[in-house]
Amino acid sequence: MEKISRYILVFIAVLTLAIFLPKLYWMAFEKPVWKPFVQYSCINNDFMIQRIREKKWMDTKGKEYSREEYEQTLPMMFFKQLLASGTMPDSINGTALDMRAISREKSFFRLKASEIDAPCPDLYPLFESWSGRAKLELPEDFFRITWRIEFIEASTNKLLEEKSQLFSAALFHNGFSFPAKLISGLPTPRKTCDEGYLIVDSKDQLFHLKMIKGKPFVKKVDIPEGVKFRHISCVDFKNKDFYAYLFSDKNEIYILTQNDYQVIKWLIDGYDLANCDLKIFGDLFNYTVAIEVNDRIKMIALDKQFQVVNTYGEEWPVKEDMLEGRIFASLFPAQLSMTSDNSKFIRFYFSPSNGFNWIFVNLLLMTFHFIWILRRKAKLKNHLADLVIVVLSGIFGFIAIHLFQNKFFD
Amino acid sequence: MWKSVFYKEWLKTRWFMVGYTLLGVLCIGYLFLTLKHSFAFTGGKNVWFTVLFQEQQFYSLLKYVPLAGGLTIAVAQYLPETINKRLKLTFHLPLTENKVLLQMQAFGAGCLLISFLMFGGLFTGFSLIYFPIQMVTNSVVTILPWLLAGFAAYFMIALIILEPNWIFRFCYTLIGVFFLTIYFNSAGATAYASANPVLFILTALLSVVFVFSAYRFRKGEV
Amino acid sequence: MIECNNLTHYYGEKLVFENLNFQVKKGSILGLLGKNGTGKTTAFNILNGFLQPTGGQCLVFGEDTQHLSPQAKARIGFLIEGHIQYSFMNIQQIEKFYSGFYPKWKSAAYWELISKLNVSLTQKISTMSCGQRSQVALGLILAQDPDLLILDDFSMGLDPGYRRLFIDYLREYAKAENKTIFTTSHIIQDLERLIDDVLIIDYNKMLVQSPVAEFRSNFRRFDFELDNEATELKKEPFIMNIEKVKNKVELYTFSAESDVKKYLDDNKIVVSNFAQVRMELEDAFIGLTGKY
Repeated sequence: MEKISRYILVFIAVLTLAIFLPKLYWMAFEKPVWKPFVQYSCINNDFMIQRIREKKWMDTKGKEYSREEYEQTLPMMFFKQLLASGTMPDSINGTALDMRAISREKSFFRLKASEIDAPCPDLYPLFESWSGRAKLELPEDFFRITWRIEFIEASTNKLLEEKSQLFSAALFHNGFSFPAKLISGLPTPRKTCDEGYLIVDSKDQLFHLKMIKGKPFVKKVDIPEGVKFRHISCVDFKNKDFYAYLFSDKNEIYILTQNDYQVIKWLIDGYDLANCDLKIFGDLFNYTVAIEVNDRIKMIALDKQFQVVNTYGEEWPVKEDMLEGRIFASLFPAQLSMTSDNSKFIRFYFSPSNGFNWIFVNLLLMTFHFIWILRRKAKLKNHLADLVIVVLSGIFGFIAIHLFQNKFFD
Repeated sequence: MWKSVFYKEWLKTRWFMVGYTLLGVLCIGYLFLTLKHSFAFTGGKNVWFTVLFQEQQFYSLLKYVPLAGGLTIAVAQYLPETINKRLKLTFHLPLTENKVLLQMQAFGAGCLLISFLMFGGLFTGFSLIYFPIQMVTNSVVTILPWLLAGFAAYFMIALIILEPNWIFRFCYTLIGVFFLTIYFNSAGATAYASANPVLFILTALLSVVFVFSAYRFRKGEV
Repeated sequence: MIECNNLTHYYGEKLVFENLNFQVKKGSILGLLGKNGTGKTTAFNILNGFLQPTGGQCLVFGEDTQHLSPQAKARIGFLIEGHIQYSFMNIQQIEKFYSGFYPKWKSAAYWELISKLNVSLTQKISTMSCGQRSQVALGLILAQDPDLLILDDFSMGLDPGYRRLFIDYLREYAKAENKTIFTTSHIIQDLERLIDDVLIIDYNKMLVQSPVAEFRSNFRRFDFELDNEATELKKEPFIMNIEKVKNKVELYTFSAESDVKKYLDDNKIVVSNFAQVRMELEDAFIGLTGKY
């Protein structure tokens, strides 16, 4: 039992060291990586790149611009500045520029991988869509969808049976198959208006649910055959073009248009829900999609008919590629972490190091330990497991077996 | 014989147990008093909204309560054993050394379990007055790592106190402190859902580690 | 009952003792004598399984002390140096606690001794004096009724009254019940009243293991005065120790008077007032191991 107890301690120590030694290493040696900021220019029909660290502004061909020149290539983004400096054009590409239109068409959407792989709330507030009031008010009850939809009044924690039955029937009659797989909406009173929720049922069908003057509004949305939505982000844009961005389990991006409920696929590749940071900039002329991973960016510019007009990609070295990263990969066989940039769940995230240099370090440490065993004139048989631990876990195991000494077991 | 072992452990820990349990119950009482006040003054819907969508856990006061329990019981049980090396008396009892140690450990862990169950019962009971079952189960999933941390702390402090060598005590403390942070990552409700089973296993494994330092004591390590 | 073979122990590089061999037979009372630092507590720790010796082995009831079975431990009464006990308990609680472990527990033996104490049932042991605590410790051992008693410095911190009480109780108990005792004490006069056999250790080695009476009759002290103060006295193998202050000499040996006289004659040492001096155990011990 003492031996088992020791090995458990060694295991716990290896686990702990595998989490904190790499963390401490990066805290000491990591240098910031300066990512470029890229935007599509409707003036140049090219992507404009701002390199913050070098304080340079350029296009994809490498031509450099001054800050003012750069801002002029991006009038949709910098219209306030251009208006102030009197350099705002009257029209672009034959279209007269109306400030209100520019403002209305401007949108920004961001979706991080960690927002997708995250815990979901189980209850949602269904706002009154046609309240007649200027501001939205949080409803008194919240709903959940299990074998039916149920509304529970917050102040009393009591089920509102009548309302629950009413809405459940509405869903049922529209072909909803309980329970819900996905519920998406904007559960906050801080929006311009309420468009209810987009709900995916157990058969991957898509429904739109609203409450209009206390009555249920349910619309089944026709979606392309075989498409399963992994994530839906409802949006509240001034132009009211669409309800949401939808993301399929095949990493496709769709939009759902308002009122006519068209599900339109954007021809974008290179996006992975599991590890990409997605940004979509909307303006009067274009949609600019930025797909970012920690070592590269892919830019796709679409016109207002969602056709791809231009693309750009760039890669840069990350910490793993630098000298400190290569030393890291030699020193530590792997890294454990409880958190991940791509998820809000706490798990044991295991990342093995690049390459196999760490094997040499592990063997070296094993040799040190072997010499130590010989010098102590200990029985090798009793220390074999320790040697294996060092070979497999390297510096973590080496520290652990000395912390919890293999003494008195000879 | 286990009755006598339990008797000794009870004599050492009874007032600490009573004090700690009382304190824990008072904490929970205070928690729900605050909640009742929030419901009355800000309104139920606003409280639900902050809990559901603003990642505010109304029970965050409880975060370190189980840890404090583990610490208290471990110190109350094992510190008296190390004064004047009284552990020799324990080892001289006509039982296998590990058996008597595990009985002591079972008592302490059992006391913690009873306290935590009491807290859990009160918490769940009160919560169900104000929140539907899903929100209550989510709270329990979120609180679970804190409870496990209480046990983990108890097991590790036993290891540290029984270790005869001061340098190693310090090293074990360092490892212990870093290890315990695993249970306390800042995260939203139910973020620990997948990690909880693994944490449970790790915590269970820790229940026997103190045998290691007791063994070193028996072999005459200084 | 106890058998130690080739017992060797090092604290790091420092040797405590080497190849120590001794036995304690059933029914005997053996006292371990040695100066501070000669390894008495080390030997006790090894005997009770609280220290792993560097080499050699100790057996109690035929079992290796590193792995004593619960049955063996039930038969051993153990007194820790300083009468260490669970002092957070009171005298009632401690009796209740220990009685649960020993089927042969004799409550009456404990309470008989405790009744002599002028303390309340609920008084914690931590608030008692050294002597009172020793009585509690003794009472617990007697109630346990072990076959073997291992007592590490039973007289530590006790005044003469308590020490006498302890010795009287122990000896009477041991002889009446044919118990075996292995003990040590700093106060050798006390030990002399208790023990049958003596084991004397010095740094790194055992000097004597024999019955006390035999040791006292075989180990002799001869006092004499030198005519010439500056005379050098060669230390020959038969001389265990020589103490010289000015011209007064004390010579300690296992040899006979004739051997001593022959030594003096052979070395042409002229002495006066030559006499054998009777020694108590303490004198003999100091004579054997030397003053500091």
